[in-house]
Amino acid sequence: MTAAALFQSILASLPEIVVVAGACILLILGQFVRKGQEHFLVWASVAIVLMAAFGTLMLSGEVRPAYSGMFIADRFAVFFKVVFYLATVLTFLLSQKYAEIEGIGSSEYYVLLLFALSGMMTMASATDLLSIYVGLELMALCTYVLTGFLRQQPRSNEAALKYVILGGVSTGIFLYGVSLIYGLTGTTQLDGMAAAVTGDPLDPGMLLAVVFIVAGLVFKVGAVPFHMWVPDVYEGAPTTITAFMSVGPKAAGFAVILRVFLNPLVAASDAWIIVAVIAVVTMALGSFVALVQDNFKRLLAYSSITHAGFAMFGVVAGGADGVASVMLYLLIYTFMNLGIFGTVIMMRNGDFSGEVIEDYAGFAKPHPGLALLMLLYLFSLAGIPPTAGFFAKFYVLVALVERGFVVLAVIAVLLSAVAAYFYIRIVMVIYMREPQRAFDPALTPFVRATLALTAAGTIGIGLFPAWFLRLAQYSLFGG
Amino acid sequence: MQLPLLSLIVFTPAAGAAVVMFLRNDNAVRWTALAFTVLDFTLCIAMLTGFDTTTYEMQFTETHPWVPALGITYALGVDGISALFVFLTALLGWICVLASWVAIDRKVKEFMVSLLVMQALMLGVFCALDLFLFYVFWEAMLIPMYLIIGVWGGDGRVYAAFKFFLFTLAGSLVFLIGVIVLYFHGGQTFDIPALTAQHLPFPVQSWLFFAFLIAFAVKVPMVPLHTWLPDAHVQAPTAGSIILAGVLLKMGAYGFLRFSLPMLPEASVHYSTLMQALSALAIVYGGLLALAQDDLKKLVAYSSISHMGLVTLGIFTLNLRGLEGGILQMFNHGVTTGALFLFVGLIYERTHTRSIADYGGLMKVAPVYTAFLALFALSSMALPGTNSFVGELLVLSGAFAASLAIGSVAVMGALLGAAYLLGMYGKVALGPASVGLRFKIRDVDAREMAAILPLAIFVLWVGLYPKPFLAIIDASVKHLLAQVHDKGGAR
Repeated sequence: MTAAALFQSILASLPEIVVVAGACILLILGQFVRKGQEHFLVWASVAIVLMAAFGTLMLSGEVRPAYSGMFIADRFAVFFKVVFYLATVLTFLLSQKYAEIEGIGSSEYYVLLLFALSGMMTMASATDLLSIYVGLELMALCTYVLTGFLRQQPRSNEAALKYVILGGVSTGIFLYGVSLIYGLTGTTQLDGMAAAVTGDPLDPGMLLAVVFIVAGLVFKVGAVPFHMWVPDVYEGAPTTITAFMSVGPKAAGFAVILRVFLNPLVAASDAWIIVAVIAVVTMALGSFVALVQDNFKRLLAYSSITHAGFAMFGVVAGGADGVASVMLYLLIYTFMNLGIFGTVIMMRNGDFSGEVIEDYAGFAKPHPGLALLMLLYLFSLAGIPPTAGFFAKFYVLVALVERGFVVLAVIAVLLSAVAAYFYIRIVMVIYMREPQRAFDPALTPFVRATLALTAAGTIGIGLFPAWFLRLAQYSLFGG
Repeated sequence: MQLPLLSLIVFTPAAGAAVVMFLRNDNAVRWTALAFTVLDFTLCIAMLTGFDTTTYEMQFTETHPWVPALGITYALGVDGISALFVFLTALLGWICVLASWVAIDRKVKEFMVSLLVMQALMLGVFCALDLFLFYVFWEAMLIPMYLIIGVWGGDGRVYAAFKFFLFTLAGSLVFLIGVIVLYFHGGQTFDIPALTAQHLPFPVQSWLFFAFLIAFAVKVPMVPLHTWLPDAHVQAPTAGSIILAGVLLKMGAYGFLRFSLPMLPEASVHYSTLMQALSALAIVYGGLLALAQDDLKKLVAYSSISHMGLVTLGIFTLNLRGLEGGILQMFNHGVTTGALFLFVGLIYERTHTRSIADYGGLMKVAPVYTAFLALFALSSMALPGTNSFVGELLVLSGAFAASLAIGSVAVMGALLGAAYLLGMYGKVALGPASVGLRFKIRDVDAREMAAILPLAIFVLWVGLYPKPFLAIIDASVKHLLAQVHDKGGAR
């Protein structure tokens, strides 16, 4: 590699380098932060992410392949990185008070989040199965640790252990698929793979490889049948980390899925049938099991499974609109899901956990404004217009029908009618019950800012989707 | 630049909701809500005075790009059919505010906000000329209506609200798929007039017809998708019932008129017999159920099913008299049934019972109330001289022209109507005063009169001189009929 090419590569991956370097510096400086000064960590972490974001936007003008085809900084990657930055910054803002209450506000918490962010960014930019693997593992290792961050709680430890074991197995399966691909095509580069195959794309070996890779990837987005970890991990992890995992790593998983599945090789192997089945089963399981949940975090875990299923329909549709619809869906989901998690995190104050749905009974009476926000997020998650959640679903459906998958579209909407029930049930608890206790939400300025931003996104994209739609369509890969 | 009158009409209540949100005093909230709904009503009158009855073209149109990448526009406009319902919605808007003046005594601000938002969305549904915009308004109505029933309703409100929400949502989502399919078959546009001009192949029309039918039949409601209605009506507060009966039920029928007939003419003609049969079933079944009710609100709710059956029957006779009668009957039903729910609400506020068995001899204690109740009950059973007579006569003559059998069954509905309404009136108003009621009841006061009188005026006005109302819809109906028969084959 010549010096010039190396320089170009470094330039293309500058945002990742900024995040990693910033995280390392914060790891050292964090040791000097005294107790009670933790908000400094929040500011520093946000500053690092904003620097990376600035770099990303500065470099977004052109497509920059880097590291001999392992990595690319294209518009597709930029779009996903913006989603990651958003998710991470909002998680930082939500974390400050929560971490203080739970006693987990050490610098490692923020550093690990930053490393997870760099892993996700690598995933979005990776164009080689090996670099995908590196990003995936970097992200996953950080989230394993973060899940177990509530050291005193057996629930959190159990979740972390479960996550590590299952995550390890899924990574193994993924790697096995990669090795099969390498054996069959002689390359692990996404572009090179398609060119190397001359025979039948339905070759059984190839199919096996694709199935293994699919299995490894859908694990990360929590789709059936690799969803078992989701409810336990979501329930056990610190709520801020749950919020983060439900949007960031999930979006990163979809970034990879889109790159891999829409690769000409995989597209030719009828893998979409597998994906379609996964999408239907995922949505069905998520919606029906969520109906009987009493724990808010567990319910949101199943809700996130449902949403993964719906976004998966966009992958099934494929094509320009299909990809754009998944991207838009993930952006909108980031806003509305972090919004609802923000309200759950805010309820955690003193001895009050706010994790059970019944804890919210009559919340609308003393706090009409916050209740209205929850109403907004919940109706958006249910996909009722004029919220953004509706437009996200609508666009996926348009993409499906455009490709002629009308039956899948009907299945998708009927299952989302089932899913609507459990969101509306929470609205019912908030609005139609009498309050049992006094509420004392931990409303710091940071939390307020998060709620304001997510609410603006949820209603703003719903009313004026045109700009965001154009952004998603503009960010398709290849361009 | 022309004044965007329709946008003003649609968003005035929404602006009212925004203002109300910042008020603290309950009375200020009530007066502000009333002011905004009355202002909206005046704007509506202004719209009608400028309305040209000689053309079927969309009037007062406004178009702004919204999501250009998908061909979605913000387009509003009214023709004769929608103008009538915009007027009805605006009229019932301030009547609803008056009806909830004292009936709603907790969370008044939140209630008025929901009511005003609801009002804006309903007006939006009738004005929308873009299918996507229409759907947004149509579906968004679920949120305020869910809250109105679920927060301010009776004892079984939570169940009723859920049932209402899920029935309507499931129906609407199938409709959404239909809309998207239509979008791709109709040249990637959501523009309603452009889609109307398309000619779709018959199999596509058939599928779409049933996809639309599910959504509209839930809203109307047509038997067998009507089971949410009695629950929702009984549990909803008075204003909620008025909105449900007066406007929401009309939206299903409006959907048939705006989408099914003009966009799917062949399917509409092909399945018209099925639709007529379902309508006739609703007329008789709803009437029989009403006959068996002891709860006043349930009685009116089931009578609604029967009356809406008459409306859909009129629409699917696909002849001029049937259609005009059906549309006029939609208006009449909004006025009359809205009034009947108002009356049930008024008496319930005083006695806290809705059981017919608890009443008797009301005429002696509340003569004004019972006199007006008689007027609306007679109107509901289509006595000559009242509004429903005109509508029902037109529908029935259209039905007989279409099919003797269907017409004969539909006439049964009128007989049943007389039976349950006269029965109810006899038990409630006549005879000796029931012991518990004798001294407690006060007659209607000025505020209640203000809500009753306009409805009474429309009952008699349409009954005695229906010409202006028919004139509004005439050109549009004729055009609609021509579209159906040109493309769908004459009958």
